[in-house]
Amino acid sequence: MILTHRNIEGIDIVSLAGRLVMADVPEVRQKLLVTVEQGSGKLILDLAEVGFMDSSGLSVLVSVFKAARAKSGDVALLHLSPTVRSLIELTRLQQVFPIFDDEAAALARLR
Amino acid sequence: MTRTIGLDIESRPECIELLSGALYGMCQPVLPAAEIAKINLAMVEAVNNAVEHAYHGEPGHPVRVELELAPDRLGLRVQDHGQPMPPGRLEAAAAFVEPDPEDPETWSMRGRGLFIIRSCMDTVEYEARDGVNTLSMSRLLATGESA
Repeated sequence: MILTHRNIEGIDIVSLAGRLVMADVPEVRQKLLVTVEQGSGKLILDLAEVGFMDSSGLSVLVSVFKAARAKSGDVALLHLSPTVRSLIELTRLQQVFPIFDDEAAALARLR
Repeated sequence: MTRTIGLDIESRPECIELLSGALYGMCQPVLPAAEIAKINLAMVEAVNNAVEHAYHGEPGHPVRVELELAPDRLGLRVQDHGQPMPPGRLEAAAAFVEPDPEDPETWSMRGRGLFIIRSCMDTVEYEARDGVNTLSMSRLLATGESA
């Protein structure tokens, strides 16, 4: 599920791929929480290759966001597919998550 | 022409993807991608509820999904034999809690599955009878079936 993990100037950038659904939740949640815990708490999630997400996938994003905020960090979402964007808008989470189509803009927000 | 399909899976999260494959196989030739995506999301959320709440995440129990594709509507039924949904839960899902960026308590996804289902489908009904729980949903189709 996790494709790549990079770090630029203390900001973690994790790319996910495939479906982010109930079956994947325990593994992805654990890996992302470890990333937040061990890093600066500033995280960009690149979801370009995530074609489908359900509410349990969204709950992972919320858990990670809460963990990041707890250590004064932040989480930005990058490159949402139309399906994932429509789920996030349906649940109005675009009011919580900063969303970007451009990595440089996401990095600027988290610096 | 109305086409129907019935699918039985075990109550394991890993099995739910199989249902999406069948739904896309049935609908892709005749429905726009955005329409199928909404129906798929409603189906996945409904089956998630059966696995997570009716069976408390326990594998080895049956979940049945029935799809009925007519020229002007798609019907979807999800059945389980687990614990019924508490009365009023479906109606309560209409009361959406707006996420507030400053209040983490409002970010929870708990209960959002039913809200998502109601948003994606035109009708949603729930019945628990004789040990069988059935969530029946339908969506009117913008594009009729051409086959």
